[in-house]
Amino acid sequence: MRKWLALVLLLGLALAQTRGGELRVAILAEPPVLDPTASTSQEIPRMLYDNVLQGLVKFNEKGEIVPALAERWQGSPTSLTWTFYLRKGVRFHNGSPFTAEDVVFKFTRARDPKSGHTHPEYYQDIQSVEAKDPYTVVFRLRQPNQDFLFNLARPDSVIGPKGRVEEQRTNPIGTGPFRFVAWERGVGVRLERFDGYYEPGLPYLDRVFFRFLPDPNAQLAALRAGDIHVIGLGVSPENALVLQRDPAFKVVTGFTTTEITVGMNNSRPPFNDLRVRRAMQHAVDKKALVEGVMLGYGTPIGSHRSPGERCYEDLSGFYPYDPARARALLQEAGYGPNNPLRFTFTLAAPYPYERRLGEAIAAQLGQIGVQARLEVVEWATWLSRVFRGADYQMTIIGHSEPHDIGIYANPSYYFRYDSPRFRELYTQYLRTPDPNRACELMKEMQRLLAQDAVNVWVMNAPYIAAMRREVMGWWQNQPTPSLNVTRVYLAR
Amino acid sequence: MRGFLLRRLLLALATLWLAATLVFASLLLLPGDPVQAILGLEASPEARAALERSLGLDKPPLARYLDWLGGLARMDLGESIRYGKPVAELLEERLSLSLALVFLGLLGALALALPLALLAVRFPPLDLALSGLVTVLQSLPTFFLGVVFLYLFAVHLPLLPASGFPGWASPREALRHLLLPALTLALSRAAILFRMARASLLEVLSQDYIRTARAKGVPEPSVLLKHALKPASLPLVTLLGLEGGFLLTGAVVVEAVFALPGLGSLALTALEARDYPLLQGLVLTMAALIVLFNVLVDLLYGLLDPRVEYA
Repeated sequence: MRKWLALVLLLGLALAQTRGGELRVAILAEPPVLDPTASTSQEIPRMLYDNVLQGLVKFNEKGEIVPALAERWQGSPTSLTWTFYLRKGVRFHNGSPFTAEDVVFKFTRARDPKSGHTHPEYYQDIQSVEAKDPYTVVFRLRQPNQDFLFNLARPDSVIGPKGRVEEQRTNPIGTGPFRFVAWERGVGVRLERFDGYYEPGLPYLDRVFFRFLPDPNAQLAALRAGDIHVIGLGVSPENALVLQRDPAFKVVTGFTTTEITVGMNNSRPPFNDLRVRRAMQHAVDKKALVEGVMLGYGTPIGSHRSPGERCYEDLSGFYPYDPARARALLQEAGYGPNNPLRFTFTLAAPYPYERRLGEAIAAQLGQIGVQARLEVVEWATWLSRVFRGADYQMTIIGHSEPHDIGIYANPSYYFRYDSPRFRELYTQYLRTPDPNRACELMKEMQRLLAQDAVNVWVMNAPYIAAMRREVMGWWQNQPTPSLNVTRVYLAR
Repeated sequence: MRGFLLRRLLLALATLWLAATLVFASLLLLPGDPVQAILGLEASPEARAALERSLGLDKPPLARYLDWLGGLARMDLGESIRYGKPVAELLEERLSLSLALVFLGLLGALALALPLALLAVRFPPLDLALSGLVTVLQSLPTFFLGVVFLYLFAVHLPLLPASGFPGWASPREALRHLLLPALTLALSRAAILFRMARASLLEVLSQDYIRTARAKGVPEPSVLLKHALKPASLPLVTLLGLEGGFLLTGAVVVEAVFALPGLGSLALTALEARDYPLLQGLVLTMAALIVLFNVLVDLLYGLLDPRVEYA
């Protein structure tokens, strides 16, 4: 008995040591608003997903879908009806109770294209959503949707108090372990432990401060000076190597869902010619890029999907690095020493690694006699000219959203990839009742993209964070953009 | 004097209107739009349309221009698109920091440049070495100098905080956070002040009245400090006025290195987000401050040089 008591005491002591304190985390950029249903800026979920804002279900560190506000649910990819049984006794940060009404309000708004909600296409198969009782919600779908549950776990599907829309943009209220305290424009976002959180004992920290530190040198200095505990993402490979050798710090690396993609305009010369696009695939040495530019961080890929995602097919060797083959393909397409292939390669200024990779790729293309003229544009110009107007030839950018292969089913997306076959596969994938068949179709889509050489998929971007040694419980992977601090504590 | 001020005021108003109109017109020519910057990559056309309507961006440019001018007449700069906050509030937050930074930086630069210039003029053998030194300082980019200071004073000798700004609640803390950035700014701006002061001192020293003073047997330090310094500082004052105006938003690199939420980074964010109301408010404020600095410089002239008259 006495032994037990001692053990309990010790345990209590150990736990007490890990509680409390303020964690200061640097992130690179400031989002335009703090509501993931009002903007697709990835900085919003990075700070708020699960920490402050939660949905019915959520992703865990491995990318699995686990219960959040719904305790359990009934439904499968074949079903037209999904029933969610809500957790009881949950309160929003403003004190109001969370009930089925909030869920109904949220998804009624989400599926209304006029509401300005992000990604209404995730919810377009929802025919109705109703509250059977205060803790049971029933969704009826128009047609089965393979991704229904996945979409409910996305940051877009977080649930706020009923009727609250406009205020969520600058003063988000949710049900997470931390409540939002302040957004100091240009400085950072402050969170505080929410005492009414439904998971007992969580969170461990008292306060979290996400600081906007755009300059990598300033981040590193602030980490070394003890101003911050964590550089939340985007530590440069050079800095990661330096910090790894320092016993006061540790570097956490894992997978992301970011495909660094050399986008090609499939509707315009020269890249409307499959031979030219295939020549590009053979001319880019992805291994050399990972080694040379990223100092070994990152994984070469061969299609638009990341190795950490389900139903991934490794196609990184689909087009082996082969300059001779690339030259031959170009010759077939009518290019040669007397008539070299020339085009403009547009780089977006705010992304240093994509930019560096772009420069290295242009040099690799130069080896086979291709003249890529580099052009750096700032972000708003990139968005309007390349992304919206598709007024470009080649560009490079990281596509960070998880499970986003569906963009290839949209012929007006900036790659301008117009393939009825792909669209058919995608629809089949969404509608198939059989999960194994869905997985096969997912792999087939990846293969089709590779065969059509739509883009050059360079690598899965690495997740690199750096922190003081005493920071424990940090997510190693980024299955969805989230700097999840629910279980983070400071060891003392 | 009153007539002078009145004329300057009218001129200032015209300058402000011109600056505001020019920036409005030039923003129309820029590619990109604020709606996409807010909604992000994957926004649906419906969401775009909804936001455009709520921001009033669906109106024709002339209507927006008149709306904005109308707001100005009521002292209303409008609301920032990027931040969803009144522009005036954002400017107020940032201006106090930027003004303090520029003031401290230029004060430091002056404190460094003036004694060095006097030394260089007084002891010609030192001139070459000092000129060399300031040239080196000038050629060091601020992002490099700033990072060196960061490591020196915040990481290795943890005397000062590395970055950020805690606000003015505790002036002591605020100053501690501003010290390194101000020092960086001071060292990078000292060179140009040094050159100007040196050249101006040399020119004054060749004047007849200096020769007279020397002939009277006035000791050389006294010649420099009493007779030469005041007239030689006229071009310096002009330069300080210009630098002050420039640095309010031109210190953006220093702001980035030390993560200071100043006007420079605000301007950059506003431009990247195509935040039209914020950009217009910024340009207007900058123009107003530069006009103000110029008036102050003109008034200082009168104090420094009794021959200057305001008519």
